[in-house]
Amino acid sequence: MSNFIIETQDLWMQFGSKVALKNLNLSIEAGGIHSIVGSNGAGKSTLFKLLLGVNTPSQGECFILGQNSQKLKPQDRGFIGFVNEEHTLPEWMQVTTLIDMEKSFYPQWNNDIYKQVIGNFNVEKNQKINQLSRGERAGVNLASALAKRPKVLILDEPTLGLDVVAKQAFLESLLFTEKNEECTVIYCSHQMDEIERVTDQLIIMEQGQLISASTPDKFCEKIHYWVVDYPNNIPESHLIPGLLQQKNIEGEIHYMVIDQDDSLKELFSNLGAQSAFHSEVSLHQAVNGFLSRNHHKPETEIAHV
Amino acid sequence: MIQIVTGDARPIFKQIVDGIRMQVITGELPVGSKLPSVRGLSMQLTVNTNTVAKAYTELLSHGLVESRKGLGLFVIQPKQILNEQERQDRLEIAVNTLINETIGLNLKNDKIIDLVKSKLAQLDDKKTQ
Repeated sequence: MSNFIIETQDLWMQFGSKVALKNLNLSIEAGGIHSIVGSNGAGKSTLFKLLLGVNTPSQGECFILGQNSQKLKPQDRGFIGFVNEEHTLPEWMQVTTLIDMEKSFYPQWNNDIYKQVIGNFNVEKNQKINQLSRGERAGVNLASALAKRPKVLILDEPTLGLDVVAKQAFLESLLFTEKNEECTVIYCSHQMDEIERVTDQLIIMEQGQLISASTPDKFCEKIHYWVVDYPNNIPESHLIPGLLQQKNIEGEIHYMVIDQDDSLKELFSNLGAQSAFHSEVSLHQAVNGFLSRNHHKPETEIAHV
Repeated sequence: MIQIVTGDARPIFKQIVDGIRMQVITGELPVGSKLPSVRGLSMQLTVNTNTVAKAYTELLSHGLVESRKGLGLFVIQPKQILNEQERQDRLEIAVNTLINETIGLNLKNDKIIDLVKSKLAQLDDKKTQ
């Protein structure tokens, strides 16, 4: 058995002619918060459905907690938490009825954790689910997921549509509620400010493939921004190595590049640049530049980094 | 008070390092004072505890704080890690920045120098207190 809490091996998923996952090989070590980012349709939600054993892969295998996702036993499932953006809950139930039911299913239920988390949200236990706001539903969902003391907790865009107060409560609960030492959180979001605050490991997916896995800082260090002034001709973009993005702003050329060192300055000068101004990028810029690179240069192959 | 800005080119751990360093320089955190616990500062800033831990590791390696077993991290008298030449180089860079920032202000040189002197004197006063 491997040390990975989640592992996929040559995983393919096809819906008709549409390929959602393309030979995905992903290994996630136990512990910490692993954030998955990618454009819409990158295959994140498909991956989660396969990991949870809801869907069957077209090819390949995936493992969660060392078990094949297709053969999960109820006791394995008991240690896998899942919170999605819909916060789907039985509408007709009272919060307290729902929680009593959940408690009875999970022997490891920890009521102190439930109370601590639900206390961050303004939820009365006798309220009916259908009277709860989006943020309160998110609170009930997260509190119940954490109280089950999961070994792996998958959060699929959990803060989508939450107001600032609910979002803050959600992030605080996620970051600071006492968890199993080995609890691994898989966090999927498009909100880069959240990603920056919570992430230990950043996983980037694109077109059903794994593109990058590293710490956010390491990822940012690979990407640089240059503003270059060419008084005469602008060189063709294929001459710029590692180019992710090129924009012409008021006659100056803005480049975002990957895996290049300072020698680029010399290259710009050889290409006729009068000046070249370098800056670091934020995580937001780095991810955005990286994911949008194919929109700007459709002819390039996806570079594995 | 440290402020975290997401979307900044400086990663969050670096912002924490810079923020604490600035507090030490200004005397807001005098020698001997205790840094907040990793968990405490993480909660205050709503960031991953590992991020604060990383910032604290960097402060330790820079010799700005020391760890006292079971008690936490404390600001210490800065040790002399840099040699004479390195210190001279750093000073050059810092002074160049100062000149860059002030050149457009059309101030008399004396005015700039007087302010630098009075700020340094203030720091000396704080240290001797």
